[in-house]
Amino acid sequence: MPAPNGLGRRHEALPHTADVGLRAEAPDLPALFEEAAAALAELAADVPPGARGVERRVERSAVDLEGLAFAWLDELIGLGEAEGSAIGPTTVEAVGEHGGPEAPWLLRARVRLVPYGPDGARPRVGVKSPTYHGLRVEAHLGGWALTAYLDV
Amino acid sequence: MRHAPSATGPVPVERLDASRWRIPRDARPGMRVDGIVYADDAMMAVLRDDPALEQVANVATLPGIVGASLAMPDVHWGYGFPVGGVAAMRRDGGVISPGGIGFDINCGVRLLRSDLDEPEVRPILGHLADALFRAVPSGVGAHGGRRLTRAELDAVMTRGAAWAVQDGHGWHEDLERTEEGGALAGAEAAGVSPRAHERGAPQLGTLGSGNHFLEVQVVDRIEDPEAAEALGLRDGGVTVMIHCGSRGLGHQVCTDHLAAMDRTVARLKIALPDRQLACAPLGSPEAEAYLAAMAAAANFAWANRQLIAAAVRETFARVLGRSAERLGLHQVYDLSHNIAKFERYVVDGALEDVCVHRKGATRAFPAGHPDVPAPYRSVGQPVLIPGDMGRASYVAVGSPGAMEATFGSSCHGAGRLMSRHAAIRQLRGVDVARDLARQGIEVRAERRDLLAEEASIAYKDVEQVVRVSAAAGLVRPVARLRPLAVIKG
Repeated sequence: MPAPNGLGRRHEALPHTADVGLRAEAPDLPALFEEAAAALAELAADVPPGARGVERRVERSAVDLEGLAFAWLDELIGLGEAEGSAIGPTTVEAVGEHGGPEAPWLLRARVRLVPYGPDGARPRVGVKSPTYHGLRVEAHLGGWALTAYLDV
Repeated sequence: MRHAPSATGPVPVERLDASRWRIPRDARPGMRVDGIVYADDAMMAVLRDDPALEQVANVATLPGIVGASLAMPDVHWGYGFPVGGVAAMRRDGGVISPGGIGFDINCGVRLLRSDLDEPEVRPILGHLADALFRAVPSGVGAHGGRRLTRAELDAVMTRGAAWAVQDGHGWHEDLERTEEGGALAGAEAAGVSPRAHERGAPQLGTLGSGNHFLEVQVVDRIEDPEAAEALGLRDGGVTVMIHCGSRGLGHQVCTDHLAAMDRTVARLKIALPDRQLACAPLGSPEAEAYLAAMAAAANFAWANRQLIAAAVRETFARVLGRSAERLGLHQVYDLSHNIAKFERYVVDGALEDVCVHRKGATRAFPAGHPDVPAPYRSVGQPVLIPGDMGRASYVAVGSPGAMEATFGSSCHGAGRLMSRHAAIRQLRGVDVARDLARQGIEVRAERRDLLAEEASIAYKDVEQVVRVSAAAGLVRPVARLRPLAVIKG
């Protein structure tokens, strides 16, 4: 069952023979990208409620919305691994066509990273890369839906 | 299971013989060659409902593909390419597609043999498993003993396993028994992104997670005595198998270049049925940059397995109180099953250099091939085929049929049958580690509760995969290896 997460927001894991997929739904694009991050975080680690961590600012751009979803997931996976941390709550401040001509779609966000450890996050599945396979960002029931498959 | 939808219905397949099926080139728009799938009737019955067949057809649309889009008997749903996919592209007019190599560049298998027999190891198996679990970091985000400096990491990416041996992690003979001598030429560390550096720097000498493992095994059946003798394998002998790759560094290299080639595809207006097949023309700056970075990541993977093998030797020596030399812990072979290489084959009646993509497929050169290490040249290149942690793995050697039919390639493992979710659902309430212990198999894992994802029911039977590969003339089975102790990430 999809996990409801606020008005019109939900996410679920999708099966894949070798790896995993995720689907997120939300009323607007910033919420959609937050919901996709929540789905990824849930797959990758168990994070204790209220766990502290450090905040990082993120900015990524791409040629289209699917490319931006790929870049966002890539940033979250790489940042988490580079810092030995799980992905905590994220705040997506902006998603829109505010970038340059080569990569007009731009995302700005704040990401909380929760270090792995006995008192911190506990890893679950090693999510290693996003993929373009089956990647979709589309209008859905008056809001938005994102589908992605991840290499684990 | 909810699969990625196919807009055009099931992919048509025609039987060619007992182990081969054809997807005709008119099955899907844009196919340039046929698809050829290696499977028996039972495997095909499962595959007909798997997106892998659609992916075989999709790969057949790539520019410059020659021969056929090939699927080995362990084929299953991947990204862009199926896992178990092989495709060869012309140098002139062909492309390189990072998805055809896979995210875990040079994921591969290394096998060590020993002079030990099962009765010597059985009484200390639990202690040995504990010691190996401590000695070889595993699991999500596992870090090695030291964080490499930028200069060290650059040297690893340039020199591969030789860097590790020179640094004291292994024996010179290991390099002679490693595909490409443990280093691909043309690696350029400078082409690897800062994020890939960050991910790789602390990870050398670590197993990682997912389907990666370290396994103590025993040879429980010899099928080809002559080849077994050449490989140093004997009935009842203890072996150690290591399965892992280039860790976060390789994944980041693939991700970075996939994104770059996604832009190339748009610029050059290359029509692709799946965006994950993003590619660039061979010889283009994008292709050259990827090949140099891929080689760097491949070399990291060979150094990684070299360090793990050294840790295995040290651990056996400590636990058994004899040096690794006295234990006879020699390397049988190390091979890659996620890589692209230029190799020479007969294409349309003429010898031609082609770029062979192997995504979850193993090089399988036959006896007499100059790239087979001298000690094995009379029997063929060892093909290491891991199974699952409850049944068996195989050692085979390459056959001439592989050169004629599959660009010198064969299967790379058992191949997944079931998603991780499905395996967990089916094994709810089952303690996989305890069940394996009842079979005499010691298991150590960071997350014991997640072992169900990698349980035997999630995989095809490797025996069946090996039989189909042999029946098709791709390999000759040499020995079966039964697990004694398994270290999982």
